Amino acid sequence: MSLFGTSSGFGTGGTGVFGSTTTDSHNPMKDVEVTSPPDDSISCLAFSPPTMPGNFLIGGSWANDVRCWEVQDNGQTVPKAQQMHTGPVLDACWSDDGSKVFTASCDKTAKMWDLNSNQAIQIAQHDGPIKAIHWIKAPNYSCIMTVVATAERGLIVYQLENQPSEFRRIESPLKHQHRCVAIFKDKQNKPTGFALGSIEGRVAIHYINPPNPAKDNFTFKCHRSNGTNTTTPQDIYAVNAIAFHPVHGTLATVGSDGRFSFWDKDARTKLKTSEQLDQPITACCFNHNGNIFAYASSYDWSKGHEYYNPQKKNYIFLRNAAEELKPRNKKW
Amino acid sequence: MPVCNFFLQGRCRYGEKCWNEHPRGGSRGGGGGGGGGGYNNNYSNRSSGQQQPRSGGGRFGNRVWVNPSQQKGNYIQPSSFSSHGSDDWGHGGGGGGGGGGGGGGGRRENVKSSDFSFSSQNRFSALNTPSTFDRGSRGGGRPAGGTVGDEDDDKKLEVIQMDMDVWEKSGQWGFSCYYSFKTLVSGFTDLSPEELRLEYYSTRPSGDLQGYMNGINQLLSQWKNRVQELKIMNPATRAALLAELNGAAPQGSSGGFGSTTATGFGSSISSFGSKDFGAPAQASGFSFSASNSGFGSAATQSSSTGFGDILAAPTQPPSGFGTASSSTPSASSFSFASTTTDKPAPASGFGSASGFSFPTGASSSFGVGAPATTGSSSLFGQTSGGFGAAATQPTSGTGSAEGASDSLFSPESKLTEEELSQFKAKKFTLGQIPLKPPPSNLLVV
Repeated sequence: MSLFGTSSGFGTGGTGVFGSTTTDSHNPMKDVEVTSPPDDSISCLAFSPPTMPGNFLIGGSWANDVRCWEVQDNGQTVPKAQQMHTGPVLDACWSDDGSKVFTASCDKTAKMWDLNSNQAIQIAQHDGPIKAIHWIKAPNYSCIMTVVATAERGLIVYQLENQPSEFRRIESPLKHQHRCVAIFKDKQNKPTGFALGSIEGRVAIHYINPPNPAKDNFTFKCHRSNGTNTTTPQDIYAVNAIAFHPVHGTLATVGSDGRFSFWDKDARTKLKTSEQLDQPITACCFNHNGNIFAYASSYDWSKGHEYYNPQKKNYIFLRNAAEELKPRNKKW
Repeated sequence: MPVCNFFLQGRCRYGEKCWNEHPRGGSRGGGGGGGGGGYNNNYSNRSSGQQQPRSGGGRFGNRVWVNPSQQKGNYIQPSSFSSHGSDDWGHGGGGGGGGGGGGGGGRRENVKSSDFSFSSQNRFSALNTPSTFDRGSRGGGRPAGGTVGDEDDDKKLEVIQMDMDVWEKSGQWGFSCYYSFKTLVSGFTDLSPEELRLEYYSTRPSGDLQGYMNGINQLLSQWKNRVQELKIMNPATRAALLAELNGAAPQGSSGGFGSTTATGFGSSISSFGSKDFGAPAQASGFSFSASNSGFGSAATQSSSTGFGDILAAPTQPPSGFGTASSSTPSASSFSFASTTTDKPAPASGFGSASGFSFPTGASSSFGVGAPATTGSSSLFGQTSGGFGAAATQPTSGTGSAEGASDSLFSPESKLTEEELSQFKAKKFTLGQIPLKPPPSNLLVV
């Protein structure tokens, strides 16, 4: 099934409503909407690596499928292909040459999808749903690592030099359940630390080997309803995903409150917060050169099954990220 | 305008926004970070060697109000700190003059600022007396060591209470572990929304979502009860909590919330699964199963039932009971925000008094269609065995009558005096919670 079942491939009805409706808040930021979004909540988004020309976006969803779009330079998105699993797809990633996509699903399998032939073969079988999958290839990294955030606030850093081995277990800087983790790199493009998001509207920035742990590691609050007004109780939302800009090193967080925010972790400031969308934002990612920021608006189950409306449309939006994510200059 | 002392030291965090004067030509090193605005910044200090205080809320814009009467000796310019509003310690990580302030949690008035000294000659004198830092630095997170007296415990408990309050009111996700003062506070289950969602999706095809909803309600009420407990902090909870915080292993038995008798719980959940998902041995979709590897395995708990550190004491499934016995098995609102409670609804006296029903009648809580099943004590005794066995239970159990049957309630004659008095009391006392269900006439709906 290479196209989405309709002749033009532009999805069933409701195609590319580029900001058509004025009153509803599904796209308050007036960002470009991706055509033919999945029918159920989007769990992950990933852009193609720089080795491939053009920008391709893949998104996995709870409708058991993973879809691929080509994002053209004028902002148009063209659905290209789709693959199915037998369970909801929780994560997806690209190989470094951009020819294959790896997908992980609740059906306990991981598949490798060859885009040229549009075939997918199963590459892994686990005992339980697979939550995350990443492709790592790095002959010349000296300290490549991956960080795994586990239940009960566990944090394990694995070193992938020869045999993946556990490098360190880190005491979590957060008090509540972890929700997402993203690695950031230093100026030399080596991974030096990670950002950890929790359900409690807080993100912790943590360096693996900081010169001064007390000062370098910090946490900040985000995705809360009242800014600094402390008298009324705030609504606190989970941070669903974090993504780092590949060029600037600034980060974006998206949360259950339906907003996304951009932050500069070195200057410790907030760069921007979006307007509120009517659904939580469940996933986000940057493309390889940092010009496009994609975020997905769909229900994340943060309020249980009662708020789940299968009829509600899910969206993926694309935003120009070149300007807004420039780091602030430090005052001194 | 008064001169900003932090600026003079080169570490003013408000930068241009600072209310005090920054004399040009004064030192400018370090500092920064304050300029962004709206960026709440908590230094999570794990290096306990440094006594780094952290304010309870970490609000960036507030200043310390130093009570001059509490300061000793050689400070100068108390006026530079007057009238800047609330007492939160906004100048966190600076070490030095930072000590002693912002006593975290609820201690707003009593700012132990006896070590503040802001004279430029002697700005680090505060560091000379580290022993007096304990009080102030005990804020919302990482105690810096020092004396462990009652005051500290009080503060810790206050912090926990406040956290509970915020948690309840904020509507944030409730199925999360909670960690404070270097201990995982027991009684919380760690589940992600995806796990719940997967559950829901798995049960949806079978058309019978009742079991799912009951399970969710049960978890919800457990959470609510636990949060309430910690908020109210009656002496028994307090003692148990302090024991945990101070490193003792959580007590088991009817101490209730601390124990990790996983087997009982694990198998009880599995029985839950089996009935509802119709695939007793497999429970394939059912990630709550006892075998569990993909799920809870990351939770390195000995209990490892995928629920992690839950209320595993056999005295539990509290309101699961309540909901089952109600006639309306509705999954009323799932929200975690503290609305006036509807949940342990019907037999409200029942559910909220932590309806500790028990092995005799309890399996009814697990969403089994028939209200009561007998012989369920076996459920609680076995692990995976309970699984297969449970599949047969529900069917066989239907013989017992509904309503005020023996298995749901115990007749008064069967209860000991102590149990009766517990049921009659307003609240259960930890350690004396009856294991038998209450008599039906004691239930006031």
